[in-house]
Amino acid sequence: MAGGLIFLYFFIAAAVAAGGFFVVPKGENQVVTRTAIILAITCCWLMWAITYLAQLHPLIKPRRADLRPAHDELFF
Amino acid sequence: MPVSEYPSLLRSEEMSLVQLYVPIDVAHATVEELAELKRVQFKDLNPDVNPFQRTYVSQIRRCDEAERRLRFLTTQIASQDIALRPYEDTLALFAGRSGAQALEEIDQRLVESEQRVAAMNGSYESLEKRALELEEARQVLIETDVFFREASGRSDEIRTSFDDTSAPLLGDVEQAGRHGAEESGFGGLELEFVAGTIDRARMATFERVLWRVLRGNLYMNYAEIDDAALPVPSTEAGSQAGGEAKALRKNVFIIFAHGQELLDKIRKIAESMGATLFPIDSNADKREEKLREVTSRIEDLNSVLYNTNQTRRAELVKIADSITAWWTVVRREKVVYSTLNLWKWDQGRKTLLAEGWVPTRDIPVVQGALRQASENAGTSVSAILHQLPTHKDPPTFHRTNKVTEGFQAIIDAYGIGSYQEVNPGLFTVITFPFLFAVMFGDIGHGFIMMATALTLILIEKRFPKGMGSEIPDTFFFGRYIIFFMGLFAIFTGFIYNDIFSLSLHLAPGHWTWPTPANAGDVVEAVATKAYYPFGLDPAWHGADNALIFTNSMKMKMSVVMGVIHMSFAICLNVLNHLHFKKPELIWAEFLPQILFMESIFGYLIACIVYKWSVDWEAVGRNPPNLLNMLIKLFLSPGNVAPEDQLYPGQAGIQVFLLLLALVCVPWMLCTKPYLIWKEHQKVTEQGYHGIGSNGNGAISADDSDAEGAGHAVVAEEMDEEHEFDFGEHVIHQVIHTIEFCLGCISNTASYLRLWALSLAHAQLSEVLWSMTIEGAFEMEGAAGVAFLVAMFAMWMTLTICILIVMEGLSAFLHALRLHWVEFNGKFFVGAGVAFDPLTFDGCDEIPEGVL
Repeated sequence: MAGGLIFLYFFIAAAVAAGGFFVVPKGENQVVTRTAIILAITCCWLMWAITYLAQLHPLIKPRRADLRPAHDELFF
Repeated sequence: MPVSEYPSLLRSEEMSLVQLYVPIDVAHATVEELAELKRVQFKDLNPDVNPFQRTYVSQIRRCDEAERRLRFLTTQIASQDIALRPYEDTLALFAGRSGAQALEEIDQRLVESEQRVAAMNGSYESLEKRALELEEARQVLIETDVFFREASGRSDEIRTSFDDTSAPLLGDVEQAGRHGAEESGFGGLELEFVAGTIDRARMATFERVLWRVLRGNLYMNYAEIDDAALPVPSTEAGSQAGGEAKALRKNVFIIFAHGQELLDKIRKIAESMGATLFPIDSNADKREEKLREVTSRIEDLNSVLYNTNQTRRAELVKIADSITAWWTVVRREKVVYSTLNLWKWDQGRKTLLAEGWVPTRDIPVVQGALRQASENAGTSVSAILHQLPTHKDPPTFHRTNKVTEGFQAIIDAYGIGSYQEVNPGLFTVITFPFLFAVMFGDIGHGFIMMATALTLILIEKRFPKGMGSEIPDTFFFGRYIIFFMGLFAIFTGFIYNDIFSLSLHLAPGHWTWPTPANAGDVVEAVATKAYYPFGLDPAWHGADNALIFTNSMKMKMSVVMGVIHMSFAICLNVLNHLHFKKPELIWAEFLPQILFMESIFGYLIACIVYKWSVDWEAVGRNPPNLLNMLIKLFLSPGNVAPEDQLYPGQAGIQVFLLLLALVCVPWMLCTKPYLIWKEHQKVTEQGYHGIGSNGNGAISADDSDAEGAGHAVVAEEMDEEHEFDFGEHVIHQVIHTIEFCLGCISNTASYLRLWALSLAHAQLSEVLWSMTIEGAFEMEGAAGVAFLVAMFAMWMTLTICILIVMEGLSAFLHALRLHWVEFNGKFFVGAGVAFDPLTFDGCDEIPEGVL
């Protein structure tokens, strides 16, 4: 289902974040790197999810007046 | 308290107050080693001693004298355009020696060099003056020669006219004056004259004055001296702004008059007007001889000048070879002695006592440095380090690396974090570039930005001290920030589906376009089963109502991101409360704050997400307007009209949330002051009046490991008695509550700038494209090619200047504001002091203004 993709990606993102969390070696930069990985994955997933969700059930359809009368169907 | 194994950017490093006992022999070496280490910040243990009474004031004065001489020599070198050997090449000069020995040597050489150069300057100046005089004399001789020649040319005519009538009267004069054709050109009259030079500017005044004083009984002639002929002395040339070689503008004059009195008057007037008089002979031969003599003397003088200049230059070149090293030594010595002046002289044990802040983690390193110092000084005694317990607030130290130091710097610009509070810099590493990118989203622009920053990063080893001037330096310092900004901008570019204002069509989207019947017909897209997998559907690009859709989406996205960002900030308070051992504040402050925020704005974003997830077409209703819903939540709670209902049970839930928010306000207002008051009661009941905390800087006698080293009085002030003022706490809490509640609303709205700037960026990008290159694509033939090339150049330039640089700076600023105000305002106190360790940084550069 189209909407389920959001949950799927959420779990994938969580898994990648958790993996990243454990993969980072101990050292001076462990805290920064872990924080960076988790924050980056969170922010990116959030933005993608919002955009995807907003387009699942659109309230208006795109409209234009500059299409040529005879043109090939779209390729996909 | 044991120190964690590795440093973390979450909080300031733990700092310890340490005490150093430094034997006098090893003091200088110790300061040098610690300054190289950059991990100790010394306190001033003699705060009430004025600078002129401190122990090492004579050394500092010596350094200042040396610096004065260095300044003199450096300006001399610069004025001769001699290049200085850079510091890095001079490191070998003072390699093995300690600073004090090097300073001795430098001092001597400086005194010598200064004397020599000053003497040479003096003699050069006087020689130049002499040369000027001689040159003027030469000019006078030449010009007066011209006069006499002219005059004698006319004298023949004059004589013929006088011949008949006045022969007897002037007969004897004629005899006396018969020396040749060029002689006394005025009919044989023996007229005397005064000749000399004067500033051209004064010429007119001079003439007028003479005319008036002598009542016209004079004949004056003058000629301009060719501008290039007179050598401008270097002192005058040097004082011209901009180094423009200004010529001395002078005129040669010759005044003929009769009678000693008149001549005396003329001489006096000439001298008072600043003219230089020269004795000129009326005899042509003698003048010629004089001219030859003067010319040869000028030549001699010029060669002497040349030689003096060469010698001076050679001396300066030799100095320029090592002057940068001298500068460094002198400045370092000054730093060392200024530091030594901060320490206390312990009379009894003949040692110096120092106090300072050191990161606890670095204490072993400092001890190593102390041992190294005693090795350097060649003594067997080294300084001893003591840790002191204290209740004073240490300075804040965030251990950054080259990547994180940029982000920490932009947070520190807002305020240095209080000691050990949560450091927003840690999160800024990702959230700042991300929020920037939300306002900047464009794959192409992001790529250019990232590539530029990547280049800077790859060549960073070539610029250990930055790039030189201020603006490139700013960009260079922020190269990692810009790199992340570019990277995230590429990501948001994919989400907004915007690459240089065009859209990508990477996969089947949700819309197809039917064929219109006629050109110009309005056509509406048809939905398909697929959904564009990543970002904004490309069908919206070029659609007439694209903005309606994207504005709505971006606005809601901004609010969602904003509320999440702020909620995160509020939650960071928990970390602070736990760390500072005040768990009661979690339910006294944190809980009402988060409940207030979430019951209104958390509810709003939940509704946004819910509204998106409902297929309103399938349900068959008009979706309710969320803004009206929020307004009605406050204005008429409990009343939800059926056509406005978003979900069943809405009325009840909204009333509950509103009441919850309402309860949070007095909760925030009263609980914390009540807790403070209760604690104060408890303390006073136990009989310790007015003492804020238990114990006042107790001097502990543990750690006295070393040889009876011990109990010098710690120069630590006792904590001031703090009067408990309940009213102050209440007022503080009122302000805090009001600020938080009103801030919630205004800050949420403030996040709409994420939408506003991304809209502006997208529109600018589109306008630029359609007004430059787009037109060029429609042209055909050779003209089209040329036009395309020209338009591409224009498009690229404007893209870089306006869309990347200007919009980039703008989005940078707004992202920064969001962090400083909306994010930091929810948890950050920022009342700390930065850790300012002793360092030699900046000592190997010549101070500004000297070169």
